Amino acid sequence: MRFPALRHVRMACQLFCLLAFLWLFLQTEYRGSDTLRYPVSLLFRIDPLAALADALAPGAFGWRLLWPALLLLALTALFGRFFCGWICPLGTTLDGVGKLVGRGRISPRSAWRRIKYSLLLAMTAAALFGVQLFGLLDPLSIFLRSLTFSFNPAFNLVANTVFDFFYQHSVPLVSPLVNGSYDFFRDHLLAFHPPAYELALPTLAIFLGILLLERVERRFWCKNLCPLGALLGLCSRHSLVKRVPAKVCDDCRRCLSECRSGAVTETAHCRDECLLCFDCSGFCPANRVVFILGSRPTAAGRVDLTRRGLVTSLAAGALVAPVAGSAPNLWNRDPYLLRPPGSLAEAEFLRRCIRCGECMKVCIGGALHPALLQAGLSGFYTPLLMPRIGYCEFNCTLCGQVCPTGAIGLLNLAEKQKAVIGIAVFDTDRCLPFARGEECLVCEEHCPTGEKAIVFDEREVLVGTEMRRLKVPRLIKPRCVGCGICETRCPLEGASAIRVINEGESRRARDLWT
Amino acid sequence: MARMDRREFVRRSLHVAAVSSAVGSVPLLDLLSFPARAAESGGAKLAVRKGKDIPALIAETFGALGGIETFVKRGETVVVKPNIGWDRTVEQGANTHPLVVRAVIEHCLEAGAKDVRVFDRTCNDPRRCYVQSGIQEAVEGMKSERVRIEHMDRRAYRDLDIVNGKDLTRWSFYQPALDADRFINLPVAKHHGISTLTLGMKNIMGVIGGNRGRLHQNIAESLADINSVVHSTLTLVDATRILVANGPQGGRLEDVRVLDTLIASADIVAADAYAATLFGHRPEDIPTIVAGARRGLGSLDLSPGRMA
Repeated sequence: MRFPALRHVRMACQLFCLLAFLWLFLQTEYRGSDTLRYPVSLLFRIDPLAALADALAPGAFGWRLLWPALLLLALTALFGRFFCGWICPLGTTLDGVGKLVGRGRISPRSAWRRIKYSLLLAMTAAALFGVQLFGLLDPLSIFLRSLTFSFNPAFNLVANTVFDFFYQHSVPLVSPLVNGSYDFFRDHLLAFHPPAYELALPTLAIFLGILLLERVERRFWCKNLCPLGALLGLCSRHSLVKRVPAKVCDDCRRCLSECRSGAVTETAHCRDECLLCFDCSGFCPANRVVFILGSRPTAAGRVDLTRRGLVTSLAAGALVAPVAGSAPNLWNRDPYLLRPPGSLAEAEFLRRCIRCGECMKVCIGGALHPALLQAGLSGFYTPLLMPRIGYCEFNCTLCGQVCPTGAIGLLNLAEKQKAVIGIAVFDTDRCLPFARGEECLVCEEHCPTGEKAIVFDEREVLVGTEMRRLKVPRLIKPRCVGCGICETRCPLEGASAIRVINEGESRRARDLWT
Repeated sequence: MARMDRREFVRRSLHVAAVSSAVGSVPLLDLLSFPARAAESGGAKLAVRKGKDIPALIAETFGALGGIETFVKRGETVVVKPNIGWDRTVEQGANTHPLVVRAVIEHCLEAGAKDVRVFDRTCNDPRRCYVQSGIQEAVEGMKSERVRIEHMDRRAYRDLDIVNGKDLTRWSFYQPALDADRFINLPVAKHHGISTLTLGMKNIMGVIGGNRGRLHQNIAESLADINSVVHSTLTLVDATRILVANGPQGGRLEDVRVLDTLIASADIVAADAYAATLFGHRPEDIPTIVAGARRGLGSLDLSPGRMA
């Protein structure tokens, strides 16, 4: 049987997967139920890089979450890199809009293809020795981070600006139309709280950078840089899908220039490079090309890693890790480095977190934001709780539900309410009752623990020459979980007069001597 | 008809846009605050009733004041403003009881209200509060086209001058709460740190915008200020459950007392004053109530002659 229609099947599949992931993205939000109805982080549960990071982290492998990734690896071993050609949302995006950036003058070199393998090997060695960097270059993480931090907030900002304008200014004909469509947008497309994240621009820059590389060649990222592509490529070296004819035909040679992944060469069909897009079976003028289930490939059809490259990459990774790890402990010095409730101890957290951004997307209070350097160089894009921007909702367990690697543990409500993120401390130089003898107690009002962690004492305070009876707040440490609602709601302008520090957080290994 | 070239089209479009945005930005109707209505509510009756069956209790309480028809006329628009402030369940007593909300709406509909809207600017995440309080389900379960529970519309806040404002002279208010013909205030009676108790006057904080924590710096006068803008046609204090400690958010059943009591009056100060007595406080000791009375929002007189 021939496969001329397969190309269209593939395109439909790509579009379907992209829309499905976008739909899951929109569902990554509280919608009236304490538990999310859909496996919204599916994209990362099928992510072999997430599985690799998890496997190389200390502790047991997270079978419960990551078995789909192993299934994908097994299927790749049988059928090749179909994920890259048919499913990967970043790949689909590049296929879809890559043409817009045009083609530049730089001509690609085939040796560049080794870069992705070098990156993968170096990152694997680094992960083995304690520094996990997969998340930075995982294409799925890059895709979801771009959506979460850049595109979705910008979309909401623009849409809300338009809706606000036509609500406040009655423009004939246009206003009724725009106002009429508001309910649909609000209920289905817009976020409940307008999203706003740190690192929105750098995230966009990375995405545009990858897009811009399409000027050099089609799927530049996938061919030369993508570590996930490299991992899937390694798995598909002995896959069973065979192209006939394997190498380029002497009378045409069109495959040499047209193949999006450059998988057809003078000598062979490279199964580790072929994305199974089936374009060639469509554009072949002689209708010669078919794909069949077939035997082992020859050694000629592989990217040669070279022994020197292999050793250098592994050594680089193995060197970087201990050097990075030898730096002084950061979270011991930065009291404001707060992690989501249920997070693993910092060292293990950094090794399991795949930097996908799911927790930051789902956070109901908008409290979680990507780190730049706050958590160290290797903590780039890990989630930080920033209570001045948003607080951790006392009855919410969503971040643990979406974390695909268990870096944030899945806690039930009772466990979550006991998970200590940190404790709140007063800045008595600014806090109104302390600093100015004025009433306030907004922090006490909002404190969510059953017995409030912030209480108040009524004191006679001498303010100038006047004796005032004042309610002065006080923290009861064993009750405070560090949710940060006090810091969010503190009515002072600028920084809050009560701040959460990471002292006493549950995840920290206790030093029995102190 | 003369054809318009592109240049002309752009020019004309810009003219239209400029004119329409200029028209839109002129405050045609700068809604000034409602005058305080001390005169009409000063002598208002106060009804207090006790009972387990909430719908029957509501009927009895309204009946004592002459029925809801005294307050809501046929064809009017009504805002019912419960306290939905916290992500707490019914038993925890931090929000108005959903059955109270529902029964009040039913009475409004029977009186012929054209449109009943329910909303509150919450303290915890609004979606969680609406669900957890049980109020969203209770209201949506009525399946009436005349009733809507909705989240606050970010676009609908307006900055207004507060005439005779003592602590606040200008603040942001939720326009739909001011636009309705009738505003029914449905607070739940609770302990509260800075204001000792949160009752009807404090419940109005749920229809204002801005940095609300600012009001804590002079809570009594600030509440009198905003209540001089948002006039409650009727205040019904839900004391079926009250929170006696760790308010207003609560969370512990040990702090909840089941009193099965409702207090209703057109006089918000009187309703709050009576509710204060349920906690063992004298109304004169609650600064918010005193400020309300002094500012002419009502009277804290609880003499037997007022009781209905």
